[in-house]
Amino acid sequence: MNQNKKLLEVENLTLQFDTDEGRITAVDNVSFSVAPGEVLGLVGESGSGKSVTAKSLMKLNPGNAIYSPETKIKLHLEDRSVDIMQLKSSKEMLVARGGSISMIFQEPMASFAPAITIGDQMVEQLLIHTDYSVVKAKKYSIEMLDRVGISDPDQRFKQYAFELSGGMRQRAMIAMALSTKPKLLIADEPTTALDVTIQLQVIELMKDLVKEFGMGILFITHDLGVIAQTADRVAVMYLGKLIEQGPVRDVIRNPSHPYTQGLIAALPKLDDLDAPLVAVAGDIPSPLERPSGCVFHTRCPVHLGGQCRSMVPDFSSVATGHAVACHLIDVSNVQQQKVAVS
Amino acid sequence: MLQFARFAFTRAFLAMFTLILVSFIVFSLMELVPGDCAERYLAFKNTQGSGISLADIETERIRLGLDQPYLTRWVSWIGNAFVGEFGNSCILRLNIADLLGEKFYISLGICLSSLLLAYLIAVPAGILSVTSKSKTLNNSIRFVSYLGLAMPNFLLALMIMLFSTIMFGDSLTGLFSAEFRDAPWSMERVADFLSRAWLPVFILGWSATAFALQTVRALMSDEVGKLYVTAAEARGVTGRRLLWRYPARHALGPIINSLGFDLNRIFNELPIVALILTLTDAGALLIDALARSNDQQLAGAIIFLLTASIVALNFITDIILALTDPRVRRSILG
Repeated sequence: MNQNKKLLEVENLTLQFDTDEGRITAVDNVSFSVAPGEVLGLVGESGSGKSVTAKSLMKLNPGNAIYSPETKIKLHLEDRSVDIMQLKSSKEMLVARGGSISMIFQEPMASFAPAITIGDQMVEQLLIHTDYSVVKAKKYSIEMLDRVGISDPDQRFKQYAFELSGGMRQRAMIAMALSTKPKLLIADEPTTALDVTIQLQVIELMKDLVKEFGMGILFITHDLGVIAQTADRVAVMYLGKLIEQGPVRDVIRNPSHPYTQGLIAALPKLDDLDAPLVAVAGDIPSPLERPSGCVFHTRCPVHLGGQCRSMVPDFSSVATGHAVACHLIDVSNVQQQKVAVS
Repeated sequence: MLQFARFAFTRAFLAMFTLILVSFIVFSLMELVPGDCAERYLAFKNTQGSGISLADIETERIRLGLDQPYLTRWVSWIGNAFVGEFGNSCILRLNIADLLGEKFYISLGICLSSLLLAYLIAVPAGILSVTSKSKTLNNSIRFVSYLGLAMPNFLLALMIMLFSTIMFGDSLTGLFSAEFRDAPWSMERVADFLSRAWLPVFILGWSATAFALQTVRALMSDEVGKLYVTAAEARGVTGRRLLWRYPARHALGPIINSLGFDLNRIFNELPIVALILTLTDAGALLIDALARSNDQQLAGAIIFLLTASIVALNFITDIILALTDPRVRRSILG
């Protein structure tokens, strides 16, 4: 893969929310990129800032969100590059909202308006983003429903979300998201609300479609198992910071950050049913009491004390394309070379 | 179409059943009051100076049909009630239908106008206040709304009367000017009525608006935070279309549902306002019948008519909901 050709480049994304209790940092200096045809998995616990990060790409965060001036989100399309932070009017924003970026959400039931048919919502989107006539938009929507494996698409087109099964709804959501031929698909926990068997079908479907449409996918989940099946690269987030990123196999086989190690150890093991369940010790701290230094030091089983409490660790490379932000890595000198965050 | 007719018919049947059930409760309550119509009338006669005997009471009882069994009397009462015939008032000895006559419809008209006024203001104001970022607008809407909730209607009525008396020398009481009070209906009488009826409509509508505003605000703030609104925004839906087609439309169902309840609440407030403004409406008559003269026949008739209005309104809102909300519609039509 040509490393120079990126689809999405996020640099120094820092996002705070202005609330009654004060300013809360939700995302802290996060940088990552997605190449065309690549699936980047973004992993973290609830509250780690992964959904907020995803919403930033569409500027969907509420009015009290404050982006730092250093924040850069660049979307490289075939003919031009778009600086998403600079988009102002709702017309300019269309490219990021359903035009070249589409998003599918965790709960397919809740993400369709309950009293509007699935077809109407699909056609509405097509009329906003294309110059299709209503008739053409309808025909194309039905084709898309058919493409994602929905049986009897003519009938489904006229139905409401509550009339479809969970798996059907998520397929319909995918069909709607892809109907505008986006370059980047953001999937925010798309399989979390589904049965395991349906999960697999939806994941397979998404993988097929990435190849067919040549899109990049930002796949957000808390489920490392799903990431292992889906992603090419993985980025692990904790309390608004990226702490480790790299090729998915490398990160899962050789997790280098104590938090990633904890997450992997916490996965239930089907081959050893008597093994005790392991949890990452402690709870995710309140965003109002953000730890100083390394944000993970309050829960870190192997932290070094003063250094971890006071200094924010930089990224160090541990293998090709695999970087970790942890003082332990600095100390053990696995590789001193600081890598530019790719 | 056939299924819809079946649904409407079922709902109408249920409404009727509710009404019959309520009528039974109302009738039973009327029966539970000590003494019956015959005794009460003759006791009333007694206070006017005429002597009565047990035989007089018995004759009166037979004349009124009060010797019949309870259920027989209920069946005949309810049968007559459905055709608008409520017999005679215990005390006044006048036909209740004549006595109530236009008064009930005027009261109902005032209540329905207040309800209409309330929602005409509350729906747009409530929706705007949820979506607008203007703090001034939001705070003023909240202030007016709390004022409406907290200030008793009668106080508002008194203040307006006082103001009007000082400024215009007219206390604005009553529903008609003196010269039209007992006149037959005419264009002039309608004009006179409207020139006065706005005041009770305004006063009742004031608190009803405040209440409705709270409902609309709560329902809207619920809807705007829902995922499907974010999802629509993420698809590029913006502006007014995003507001009205998504959260506003979905918040309307429960609002429609609450109409029947609101009508009841407004009617409950009517008597006090009517007392202050000396309106001779059904609300004032109900208080009089219940509290002062213990006239069960009259009170029963008013309560029955009120219940019938609320049941009818609920029936209408059920039908509207079935037409507008696909979740309800599909559950009926399959």
